[in-house]
Amino acid sequence: MLSAQERAQIAQVWDLIAGHEAQFGAELLLRLFTVYPSTKGYFPHLSACQDAAQLLSHGQRMLAAVGAAVQHMDNLRAALSPLADLHALVLRVDPANFPLLIQCFQVVLASHLQDEYTVEMQAAWDKFLTGVAVVLTEKYR
Amino acid sequence: MSNFTAEDKAAITSLWAKVNVEDAGGETLGRLLVVYPWTQRFFDSFGSLSSPSAIMGNPKVKAHGVKVLTSLGEAIKNLDDLKGTFGQLSELHCDKLHVDPENFRLLGNVLVTVLAVLHGKEFTPEVQASWQKMVAGVASALGSRYH
Repeated sequence: MLSAQERAQIAQVWDLIAGHEAQFGAELLLRLFTVYPSTKGYFPHLSACQDAAQLLSHGQRMLAAVGAAVQHMDNLRAALSPLADLHALVLRVDPANFPLLIQCFQVVLASHLQDEYTVEMQAAWDKFLTGVAVVLTEKYR
Repeated sequence: MSNFTAEDKAAITSLWAKVNVEDAGGETLGRLLVVYPWTQRFFDSFGSLSSPSAIMGNPKVKAHGVKVLTSLGEAIKNLDDLKGTFGQLSELHCDKLHVDPENFRLLGNVLVTVLAVLHGKEFTPEVQASWQKMVAGVASALGSRYH
């Protein structure tokens, strides 16, 4: 599904994020809550006080999962299976929210990488993150 | 439909003042056509769209992108009446162009990412929120006369 070129683009961008998962993750969540307030309902403790430490901690966890997905691009289903279970049985985030998160992810990447964020990178990451979202919601019913 | 606060309007107009529509237009439409290739269905007459570089370098893509952003620029002067501003364009997109309104949402999102590329850290979550409201309002206005 992902071409060799797309895989390279995805890995290239990840190399720029690796090591900064907490910072990127916290910003991702902050953008999500600011731009799409309805998403806050899924993170009640987190979004109420927006404590920097908690945002960093949860952001780190989310981006670490994205990093795991990058390492296993060829087999997302196996790599993300526990997370898919979590989302299906416990979190039950309505699938309509994943495009909102992906849009915020794109903005995080674009605003940090700026001119370095080529159209090919944007396309590869959109395809990749959409694939991750599909896997995470696949066991819903 | 959308209520733009004073802060929204300030964020939108001040950022727009720094945007070079000549550059941003081609960039925005080009990225739409690359990231969401099915949107190319409306542009058969544009010539080569065979690769990202062909798309980004295509003069018709650039010209059309400039046209779209110029229209957006006009709307920014009249944020409280987007439906009025885009009424005729809505009819055109429905009756003549047959464009699924979902495409307006996609284009709006791509524009937001282009603004993020251009403005970096200045494109804060709050500024993004104002702009997402803006593009959502435009998309809604463009779809408002569909029948």
